[in-house]
Amino acid sequence: MIMMELTEILFNPWLRGILGLCLMGAIFMGAMLVVWFERKLAADVQQRLGPSRVGPHGIFQLVADAIKLLTKEDIIPANADKLLFVFGPMVLMGSIFLMLVAIPFGAVIINGDTYPIAATDMDISVLYIEAVSAVSVIGIFMIAYSSNNKYSLLGAFRNFARMIGYEVPLGICVVSVAIMAGSLNIIDIAQAQNPLWFIIKQPIGFVVFFIALMADMGRLPFDQNESEEELIAGWITEYTGMRFGLGFFAEYIHMMLGSMLVVLLFLGGWNLPTVLTSNMLLGIILPTAFFLGKVSLVILTIIMIRWAVPRFRIDQVVDLSWKKLLPLSLLNLGWVIALVLLGV
Amino acid sequence: MSGIIDTSNIIYSYIPVAIILVVALLMPPMTMLLVKQLSPRSKSLAKYETYEAGSVPIGNARIQFNVEYYLYAIAFVLFDIEVLFLYPWATIFKEPNITTIATIEMLIFIFVVLFGYLYLIKKEALKWQK
Repeated sequence: MIMMELTEILFNPWLRGILGLCLMGAIFMGAMLVVWFERKLAADVQQRLGPSRVGPHGIFQLVADAIKLLTKEDIIPANADKLLFVFGPMVLMGSIFLMLVAIPFGAVIINGDTYPIAATDMDISVLYIEAVSAVSVIGIFMIAYSSNNKYSLLGAFRNFARMIGYEVPLGICVVSVAIMAGSLNIIDIAQAQNPLWFIIKQPIGFVVFFIALMADMGRLPFDQNESEEELIAGWITEYTGMRFGLGFFAEYIHMMLGSMLVVLLFLGGWNLPTVLTSNMLLGIILPTAFFLGKVSLVILTIIMIRWAVPRFRIDQVVDLSWKKLLPLSLLNLGWVIALVLLGV
Repeated sequence: MSGIIDTSNIIYSYIPVAIILVVALLMPPMTMLLVKQLSPRSKSLAKYETYEAGSVPIGNARIQFNVEYYLYAIAFVLFDIEVLFLYPWATIFKEPNITTIATIEMLIFIFVVLFGYLYLIKKEALKWQK
């Protein structure tokens, strides 16, 4: 009886929306931690101290930064297109948080039933996630075009060139995963990897997807739209104070959601052997902890890559996607078709 | 079991989407409103100038300029639509009585597009225009 009521609450879409708002808050906190973590790790790589003054090991540095950004004057340049300048960050934020709605943040397993912690459940969530994440490019272009700054515009054009290259291999890899799971629902895809993760079944697909996703998120070595050595700050040069902060945060949230996507599509999601989750308490805690642990490892990898490799030139980036990743992703698609037809 | 929302009514899946969208769109203006209360104002015309490494900006940024990846963009439209056709196929792929015919049809489709891709490479369309 209690279980029945619980299920009814879980089915309520309005309560799901409130859960989504909680997840939004959680990811903001998470993004703050990740920024601190990245600065600390970068300092370690370069044998510096990193943030160390605000709080133990500088963990509250981001709170201080947020206060600083909030108290900075908001400047809209005289030559800027005011309407687009204001709406650009809204489009960017909207696209990033629409991604968040469909992504599960873990799962709770009670009596063998899995309840994913996600704001919504739709049949086509992978397609939906790809679609809304592509909208962020439009937000970035609005920001850059409205600034009326040459550096910004160059950054935005590079952003388009990169997006054009990497959307296709990314899409083909997602299709390969969907074929193997037999569904476009991201929760079903995560469940389908119960004994064997998809990274083992389609390693090429994982490599292509990971590289394409890094490019999609604009992480170094693919941050040609920002490349601070040549373009000041690229697409966001004219933004100051909190307006800059919003764009900056959007990038970090995009990175976290992207890492979750990698774990859900290729690294087995929250699946654990049934022995571990049959216990009530462990079933509630372990799957989510396992999932978030893997997400942190992916984030760690992405950050380490950023501080270990130099930036590519834009034509090299575009060449990499069209001449190497696209054929490789098609090869992976063929491999997956063969595997499924052979009944593996 | 994976259904966490009653998907019999498709609107139910999208109510949370609408809620989050409204909050996400309201967030930047709300933050800027807060900033307006907190931040100082200074009177200076120089701060409204476009930043161009310290010198006075020359001309407008919105000029006609050569986009080196025009042909890539055309190819992108083709390939992205190809991927879109793959999505519905991927979901029905495992249904037993259509697998064979669906596979053959889709392989023909992929090979046609693949020939187009090889043609693009041969024509050197996928080459950064200098």
